[in-house]
Amino acid sequence: MSLSKSLLVAVSLGFNGYAGEERITYDGSNKRDPIFIAEGKTLVYCLDEMDDLIRAVSLDLSDPKSEPVPLFDDDRSHQTELAYSPDERFVSFSECVGNLTGKLVIRDLAAKKDAIINHSGRGAYRTPVFTVDGKRVIYAFAEKGPMQLWSVDLEGKDKKQLTETEGLSHWPSFTPDGEKMVFANSRENNYEIYIREIKGGEEGRLTENRIMDIRPRVSPDGSKICFVSTRDGNYEIYVMNIDGSDVVRITDNEERDDFPSWHPDGNRIVYVSERDGQKDIFLVDIPKPIEVTAK
Amino acid sequence: MIGIGNFKATDCSGIGRRSFLKTAAAIPFTLGSTNQVMEAAQAAQKSGKVKSVILLWLWGGPSHIDTFDPKPDAPMEYRGPFGTIPTKTPGMHFTELMPLMASRSDKYTMIRSMVTTSNDHPTAGTIGLTGFNENAGPVQPNFGSIIAKDQVSTEALPSFFYVGRGIPRDLPRRIEGYGGGTLGKAYDPFLVRADEHGEVSIPQLDLLKGITPKRIQDRQRLLHQLDNAERRLESAGIDEWHRTHQSAYGLLADSKARQAFDLTQESEKVRSRYGQTTFGQGCLLARRLAEARVPYIQVNWSEYVETFSPNCDFGWDTHIFNFELLQDRHCPILDRAYSALIDDLSDRGMLDDTLLIAMGEFGRTPKISNRAAREHHKDCYFSIWAGGGIEPGRVIGESDAKAEHPITRPITPLQVGTTIAELCGIGARKRAEMKVLDGGSVIHELI
Repeated sequence: MSLSKSLLVAVSLGFNGYAGEERITYDGSNKRDPIFIAEGKTLVYCLDEMDDLIRAVSLDLSDPKSEPVPLFDDDRSHQTELAYSPDERFVSFSECVGNLTGKLVIRDLAAKKDAIINHSGRGAYRTPVFTVDGKRVIYAFAEKGPMQLWSVDLEGKDKKQLTETEGLSHWPSFTPDGEKMVFANSRENNYEIYIREIKGGEEGRLTENRIMDIRPRVSPDGSKICFVSTRDGNYEIYVMNIDGSDVVRITDNEERDDFPSWHPDGNRIVYVSERDGQKDIFLVDIPKPIEVTAK
Repeated sequence: MIGIGNFKATDCSGIGRRSFLKTAAAIPFTLGSTNQVMEAAQAAQKSGKVKSVILLWLWGGPSHIDTFDPKPDAPMEYRGPFGTIPTKTPGMHFTELMPLMASRSDKYTMIRSMVTTSNDHPTAGTIGLTGFNENAGPVQPNFGSIIAKDQVSTEALPSFFYVGRGIPRDLPRRIEGYGGGTLGKAYDPFLVRADEHGEVSIPQLDLLKGITPKRIQDRQRLLHQLDNAERRLESAGIDEWHRTHQSAYGLLADSKARQAFDLTQESEKVRSRYGQTTFGQGCLLARRLAEARVPYIQVNWSEYVETFSPNCDFGWDTHIFNFELLQDRHCPILDRAYSALIDDLSDRGMLDDTLLIAMGEFGRTPKISNRAAREHHKDCYFSIWAGGGIEPGRVIGESDAKAEHPITRPITPLQVGTTIAELCGIGARKRAEMKVLDGGSVIHELI
């Protein structure tokens, strides 16, 4: 969507602000999982480097001429769903080095050392995220059926199971105070977004649709959640308040908009948008104030 | 990588994009080139109408319950995480992963009662593409080889194409039923590949180093180079080069044939409609080949079944990441490419005499595994049929409440092949003369 179309959309939805948009990549190749590091100066994402390889790359946003460069030396493993510790010393991601041999990597970038996590079974590790204090990694793994959320320390030890629910649990994300965890679960026939108190485990449901609400991410100030939903017939990016109120649609493209993540300034969201069959990364402003559309 | 034929194109963002025939790969790929009387009579009304068949071979075993046969009322351990959406066909719902196909279901007919007899990929692949088990004696011919023997391509093009990276396989081995089988290697498929940018390559021509687009016109020089290549291959003990050489040369020397591979002759709008993926551009290439009246085109989703293994090109064998990959990758690609293809065939008036089929070798276990994924399931899967005189907008067959078994008449790969042959004008007598598809019956519900 061009800037002019963004403005038009913003106006038509009755926003008081406007949704400016910046295109970050142009190659059109399949991409996923963009996140900012280095105070927003570097974008990290996963790219189909070949037709049989997904590789993590980084893009220096301070240089308009920069090209994406591989993040890791290993050029023969799939690397997806990266997360960085708050101090960016550690990076965690899902890696696949062979058939049915997925693993979760927790890499100490300073010590150049990987932690090893042991689970029974050969399930898939997914969607790691660091706790706010940077001392643990939360991730999704299916050990005995449903995909549950687990927690390990930075050495991959002291493993704890955080959820024991029906359905699949994915995409954990924490409020900045570390007291609440937002995630998605499919127990109600499709993915819905939930929020859980870390102490006490009290849980609330934030969305209620008959089709998916996925990939929630809490904003840097903890007041909002961005997520993806097909509630309007297409994959679009939405933002809602942390309590599930005031849902607003951020994107309005005919094709798929997915994989949202917050810019560190909390005013913009980076996401992958498919346009004319090509997938590229865009950065869009969050309209202010948020206009209510639906829950 | 050597370009043979170079075609310039510019995308809408002004970025130059190349699309050209080029040679690729390190090794030359020498693929060559008393039934039910009543049913046959019924089918004969339509027989001979189909001029081209496009088979979208969804290799690896796509999950039927997570795509085209959802069971939202099944127990939690079966139904999966996806919501359902209505289609244009009354009473038929898909999962929310297939919105574009759902909105076009009036253009095709869905079979939900497919069954096969093996849960092993290469074996089920052979059964799916030939109708017969590969262990029951000499391998029977691929459906495409049968059509290729009966129908000669009108252009200087082979009659049976594989569009994809290579012969379908899993990590241990390739399938046996990929080609001519008992009909001979002369009816093996000819392999071409379109990458995500629409660049078409012909692996057979890998040894033709130094050929530039201009030199394609220089037949004498081309022949000389081909002869040199042939000598090199013969000395290396590689058979079948002569026939492949002929086919490849035919492609290069004939301008009409070359044009069939030139995706830049399509508008940017059409090319983008299929999506910037190898499967999407492969579907566009298939449409061009059908337009050039190639009798049989098999578009392979992937070479490998393995879904998330380095060096393997993301097949449908989702033992891990089933729900995640279907959501993030496989279904969006299929949904877009299939919808673009059927729209394109329809818009160009090609659906009357082009038969479009999409299927894999089996489905996936409706009961979710301990890995939160799904395993192989031979007892129930889908196939999708469009064009060729088939009445669209219908559902044929029904599965049980957990999508584990058909509760209507099971439909087999042998019936698929027999129906394809029948619609292409290869009736029961001719099939008997060719000694193919023995015992097969037409899917009479389709016709």
